[in-house]
Amino acid sequence: MRYELNTSIANLRDLRDSDLSAYDAVYLGDIFCRLYEGNFLERPEDLQEGLRILHDQGKRAYVTTYAAPRNDFLPRMRRILEVAAKAGAQAVEVHNFGILKIAHDEFPELPVHVGGFANVYTDAGVQVLREFGAVRFTPNYELSLDEIHEIAAACQSPMELLIHGKMPLGISDYCFLLEYEEKWGVKCPDLCQKDLFLKQGDWAMKSVGKGILSGKDVCVLEHLPRLIRDGHRHFRIETISETPAYRHEVAEVYREALARTLEGSTEEDPRWWEKVRVHAHVGLCNGFYFGKSGMDYAGIRPEALGSLLTISPSV
Amino acid sequence: MAILLAPGGDYEAVRVAFDAGADAVYVGLKGWSRGGSRGELSWEELLDCQRLVASTRRELHLALNIIPKPAERARLFERIPPLLDIGIRTLIVNDIGILRCLRDRFPALRLTASIGCGAQTASDVTFFQQLGADAVVLPGTLRPEEIREIRRISGITIEVMIHMVEEFILLGKCWMPSYMHLKPSPLREGSVASGVPEGTDRGLRQTGSMKRGGVGACFKICQQPWEFYEKQRWIDTRSFPSRQISRVAEVSAYVAAGADILKLQGRSLSPEMLGPLVRRFRDSLDGRADLKNLERQPAALPVSWTVMGR
Repeated sequence: MRYELNTSIANLRDLRDSDLSAYDAVYLGDIFCRLYEGNFLERPEDLQEGLRILHDQGKRAYVTTYAAPRNDFLPRMRRILEVAAKAGAQAVEVHNFGILKIAHDEFPELPVHVGGFANVYTDAGVQVLREFGAVRFTPNYELSLDEIHEIAAACQSPMELLIHGKMPLGISDYCFLLEYEEKWGVKCPDLCQKDLFLKQGDWAMKSVGKGILSGKDVCVLEHLPRLIRDGHRHFRIETISETPAYRHEVAEVYREALARTLEGSTEEDPRWWEKVRVHAHVGLCNGFYFGKSGMDYAGIRPEALGSLLTISPSV
Repeated sequence: MAILLAPGGDYEAVRVAFDAGADAVYVGLKGWSRGGSRGELSWEELLDCQRLVASTRRELHLALNIIPKPAERARLFERIPPLLDIGIRTLIVNDIGILRCLRDRFPALRLTASIGCGAQTASDVTFFQQLGADAVVLPGTLRPEEIREIRRISGITIEVMIHMVEEFILLGKCWMPSYMHLKPSPLREGSVASGVPEGTDRGLRQTGSMKRGGVGACFKICQQPWEFYEKQRWIDTRSFPSRQISRVAEVSAYVAAGADILKLQGRSLSPEMLGPLVRRFRDSLDGRADLKNLERQPAALPVSWTVMGR
């Protein structure tokens, strides 16, 4: 495998509607909410079907798990892990230590990928997680590329990096969108299907109910040579709250860009930028990869900085 | 009998908390705790507090709950023998890797997995027990029934933070402040020479990171009003929901469920505010409170006890 480009899909409808030709692998399930529409993590039969679809397409099929479970989630998680194991999922992603322990103890055949909410900040943390069966790690989003490189070198473990899409910034036990059911005449689980942004001054975040994502899309198109040079080979385009068109078009851009980068070319195609900017309603950022605020953009493309003006000021 | 664990942001707060009936007080060591500069003690202040504790046969817990970068880790470990020498045994930590390293190197320590570790389930607690934690802190958002289920796990002390702010984003799972603003901490002159264990001296801490803070980490942006949009259409101006949890009326339910330690949040509370708060929980724990007159959740408390005062 030269590299892996993966993404995430919450339900069967989105999976069926998505052209996944540019991806190598897909994580199934929504990590934020049990009530998310058609969430694979609440529908074992759908999950089984989703895994079958991915395998039929020759994709690696992963199953993710809830980021902040309570006790009453655990029986459902066990059932989902059981389905994942039986249906031949290639790995399960965990964001929570308790679910990691369950996966390790009860489903040792399932390789474990550690997700971004597990707070992997140190090489010592990676060492601990490896003892529980973890084989791949998404470092905490706050880490810079230098820090990630240091951890990867110290542990000799593969890191999975978000290279494009809205970066998770937080998770809640509470969905404030429910407060709008009556006012909007829209019920859960349709509330979080809307494109909802929270704006304060010159910055914005996206709400997906119990989850908060960056308003800007993380974009490292300019920096792929650095990522490859650092030895990274597992890349994620976060599309859990995006349309099938976003999922497909952004992946095509990165597939092409990665191929060029691996051939040693640093030449960028201007059309790539047109495509990613169409989908980035609040602009682009680099996350924390360069040791700056997560919404900053480092690079030679100032136009990437923002299209915040697409969100009008309040009246 | 459950232990009442109170916060202490300075010597006077520690003294007041003990006077008000705390069995133990947790404090932060300047530069190494997540609370930022407010509510942290210098080494000299820590020594004073430890002398006070020794005279009252109670206990001081020490929060070393930032996540040090690799370059800082050795310095953190250098602080442990002096802490053990002065009689501090219980450390509160926030990273599984640091917890494991401390467990391996310093078997005499009692290690508590901080609330920032995000444990909420029986399975999480089993994980921390296996990792070598002596105690784990659970949020007061968990109901007594959940604590009862978790209590089935033996060999680990269960702490419940029964007085805390429940912010919209779960503790330990928030990167909103650093998304907005993140910068290396400034260098501070002189404090290395004076031997104060200031991680901030190296300029490595990052203002804005809740997990790696130590320099006044959180900007509390979640408490500011937001403009709420659907695509480009303005919908509302609103704040994220948050509430003060103060389960003083349910102390006996948590104790019956098996909570070993009842913890109160608020290292930045002034002694004047901390004293009555601790006394209130002491009375409830001792069965002296008039439960009929205690409001069940959500308790109404002054704003200064909630968002700004924690």
